[in-house]
Amino acid sequence: MTRLRRFPLAAMALAAALASSVAASAATKIDFYFPVPVQGALATEMARLVKEFNEKHPEVEVTAAYTGSYDDTRLKTQAAIEAGKPPAVALMSANFVQEFVIAGQIVPVDELLAENGGDPKTFLDDFWPALRGNATADGKIYAIPFQNSTPLVYINVDHFKAAGLDPNKPPATWAEFVAAAEKLTVREGDRVTRYGFEMPGGYDYLGWLTQSFAMSNGGQFFNVNMPGEVYYDQPSTLGAVQLLHDLVFTHKAMPQGVIEANQVSTDFFAGKASMVLLSTGSLSFIRKGAKFPYTVAFVPRNVRNAVPIGGGSLIFFKGITPEQRKAAWVFASWMTSAETLGSWSRFTGYFSPRKSSYDLPEMKSFVAEHPDALIAVKQLEFAQPWLSTYNVVAVRKAIEDEVQAVLSGKKQPAEAVRDAQRTANDILKPYNEKIAHVTVF
Amino acid sequence: MRSRGAALAGIAAAGAIALVWSAPLLWMLVASLRPDSFGALDMASLWPSGPLSLENFREAFESGDFLLCYLNTLIVVAGTLGVQLVTVSLAGYAFARLKFPGRDLVFYLFLLQLMIVPPVLIVPNFKTVTALGIHDTLWAVMAPYWASAFGTFLMRQTFRSLPRDFEDAAAIDGCNLLQLLRYVLLPIARPALVAFSIVSVVAHWNEFLWPLMAIDSPGRRTLTLGLAAFVSGAEGAAQWGLIAAGTLIVSLPLLAAFVAFQRQFVNSFVFSGIK
Amino acid sequence: MTTATFSSLRGSRRAGPRLGEWDRHLRPLLLLLPSLLCLGAFTYWPIASVAVDSLFGRRLGEKSATFAGIGNYLRLAADAKFEAAALNNLLYAALTVVPSVVLALAFALLLQRSTRFTATLRALLFFPTMIPLIGAAALWTFLFLPTVGLIDYYLGRLVPLSINWLGDPDTALVALSIVTVWKNAGYYMLFYIAALQAVPGELLEAATLDGAGAWQRLRHVILPQIAPTTAFVAVIALIQSVTAIDHVIVMTRGGPNDATNLLLYYVFQTATELHDSGKAAAATVATLAILLIVSGFGIRVFERGAGHAE
Repeated sequence: MTRLRRFPLAAMALAAALASSVAASAATKIDFYFPVPVQGALATEMARLVKEFNEKHPEVEVTAAYTGSYDDTRLKTQAAIEAGKPPAVALMSANFVQEFVIAGQIVPVDELLAENGGDPKTFLDDFWPALRGNATADGKIYAIPFQNSTPLVYINVDHFKAAGLDPNKPPATWAEFVAAAEKLTVREGDRVTRYGFEMPGGYDYLGWLTQSFAMSNGGQFFNVNMPGEVYYDQPSTLGAVQLLHDLVFTHKAMPQGVIEANQVSTDFFAGKASMVLLSTGSLSFIRKGAKFPYTVAFVPRNVRNAVPIGGGSLIFFKGITPEQRKAAWVFASWMTSAETLGSWSRFTGYFSPRKSSYDLPEMKSFVAEHPDALIAVKQLEFAQPWLSTYNVVAVRKAIEDEVQAVLSGKKQPAEAVRDAQRTANDILKPYNEKIAHVTVF
Repeated sequence: MRSRGAALAGIAAAGAIALVWSAPLLWMLVASLRPDSFGALDMASLWPSGPLSLENFREAFESGDFLLCYLNTLIVVAGTLGVQLVTVSLAGYAFARLKFPGRDLVFYLFLLQLMIVPPVLIVPNFKTVTALGIHDTLWAVMAPYWASAFGTFLMRQTFRSLPRDFEDAAAIDGCNLLQLLRYVLLPIARPALVAFSIVSVVAHWNEFLWPLMAIDSPGRRTLTLGLAAFVSGAEGAAQWGLIAAGTLIVSLPLLAAFVAFQRQFVNSFVFSGIK
Repeated sequence: MTTATFSSLRGSRRAGPRLGEWDRHLRPLLLLLPSLLCLGAFTYWPIASVAVDSLFGRRLGEKSATFAGIGNYLRLAADAKFEAAALNNLLYAALTVVPSVVLALAFALLLQRSTRFTATLRALLFFPTMIPLIGAAALWTFLFLPTVGLIDYYLGRLVPLSINWLGDPDTALVALSIVTVWKNAGYYMLFYIAALQAVPGELLEAATLDGAGAWQRLRHVILPQIAPTTAFVAVIALIQSVTAIDHVIVMTRGGPNDATNLLLYYVFQTATELHDSGKAAAATVATLAILLIVSGFGIRVFERGAGHAE
């Protein structure tokens, strides 16, 4: 009868795990969806943060739901909205915000500020200017930046020295960059044993990095003020794609085909790639994993220094009760305080979206200890909004597929950008038809 | 002598194939024990060089609350299978033994379940579990799987292959249908139930997308959700050792169970209805 | 429970054919009811709603759906990406179903006798089935890495080539197929081991006496005997080649340059990235129809083969 004796224990465990919600406290319950785009320990750190908040604010009870990647988070959020059970707050990829605005599913932060005695005019003043574009739409604030990044060049110092390059003067222009990449590449006969440069060519990353090169070539990449226009077939983007093409096929300093971010970091650690272009979010991993001296540098310029921002912001959903809305604001205010953002930044390697975080003593000593973290912040001066349009993932894929074809030797840059533009135009058509034809009722 | 030579060659071939087949898992084991998680030039070596460490396992256990995840996964797997065994036995019997109008049509309608796929199900099932008030409970993870076309199919085949003598004898003894199933047919059909159980347990142990949709509370996460937290990092840097350790933590109980009961498992397939 | 239903399950001293009219209809219903309730809520209702959705159009930002009739199906038929995804899926099915069925049969033939050694090998071959797909996908991503990955590390010593398995549009689908075959062949092997045990020994002996070699015995005795299992396994493998695409999501996300974009991933993208729910629903219905026809055919082969056992 051991089976029966074990039963009560199992039943208790079952009951505890199955209980939907225990209505013990009078606290307002809200759901918070968050993805972990960097690493597992962040999920634990986020759980710790939310626990700390719940302890400090007995009137609010936040359930922090881990929702996979940024894409998974968007998927789950959409399903929850359609089921009539949206979360109160979600940490969403900053360039998805525009779509939620178009869909009319999120609450403007302006409204929340008005309800809670804040001022929309000054609210974003403490945030880095580069972040404001992706947080606003149609003149209203819709998102609060939480964790942010820009592309950053990571350099193997030993390789630099061995190739006769000065690691203290990393390549600043495209010409210098190409020359350095060529010099750093090591060949055995026809076979390349070490590449001068590698960057992720998978979806999401590739669009971001292509935008980065197009911007440093003087381009805009998309219309920041209107979500129906992209500039894929403009000379600035063509130049960016041509640069990548030449690095692979003319200079043979970059591997052919697509490589994903995890390979780029692995190759860098293994000494198989001398310069890599990754997110500033990778900084703490490079610090942890590199067995050799490394340094970081700005993305090189052709016309100007410029990079897109990346990362995630907090957004607030319609369809919750007024109490929950209030509680969501209390939570978000605490989460985006200079202190919380500072500690999250130190833990994750993202930079803090608030300028004032860097005035805190903990942050000052951290930056003094890790000067490379400061370079990432300095690059913010040249940062601008990230591609954000109607059907943004599909629009981004339109250029990514074509650049992948170029990297694989299947297309020439001029043809690729033309095709990318045509595909993007098709995707944007439903929105643009409304913009282009004013309907008179 | 020729046939013995051929048999030996066959065994050798099987051994070689099995070696190639298990190389990825062997690498997983070695990588999980290597202290250098990020990878170096000889990261791919299957030979553990240098000191081994449990550091990756420590970090994995810190990153995810795996003990709780184990418990939740066990509940989900058991709760899914328990109900399935009942539903597939009843339905399998009905399709195998009873004659009723539209039987074949209904049977094909059952099989639709095999073909309908997660992306289609996410939104409607999310709505359904929300309407039932079980969203964010383990019930929501289990409920969609309480009927199983595969299991019904398997039981139908098994019942069909049994001689009717048992039922006739039982009917003479005055057994009702439930007693007949419980005391006569299911014990004979045990191999099929075991075979189905393996398939079901493996599937639900490893499921990812639906638990991700159905669960909010950290305390109700299943193993794959814990694992996903460190395999899906895009902006970081791949920590292969950590990924290997996490995958091993998730799959170890299943692997161990299979090794322990290998013979019974394989035999259950042999005696199940699928042959 | 009403008296009628009660008697249906309990008072069945009477055997099948002598059941009352009412009882005869009610009993199957009662036995099927638990399954039907679940299928109704979690299979038929989603199918019904996707069928309805396929007749309506709604894009991002539109408050309500408008009736589109067969418009979504027409747009689908004209979409080159859908056609490409269908072709990719066809290729993927060929690259996964055939190798995994053939390998499963080969494994089963080699390991059909049960010894300690074969038991170990069977376990090793079955292990991949038990690894969660998100973990397996991450492992294989490493194995496929050019130069530093496992495949290049070992194969690169024998042949001086470096293939960017997942990053080259020409090889990415092959790479995904390798993962699928690796994961499934050991699973299908179990069905074949079961089937081989059921092949009557006398038949094999008679064939041997007639002077049939191993190959002839396989071709003329074993294969016909296990044909129902082959049909069954092939149908399962085929259904999986359309429905089980988690590793596509984790490893390539349909890329590079759409080279691994399969039917279901196309549906997924159309729904979540293009927010074109009508076309996504139409693509789902089309995919479901294809699967139904193909697997219905396979099941029939299986039934015909298994029929004589009854």
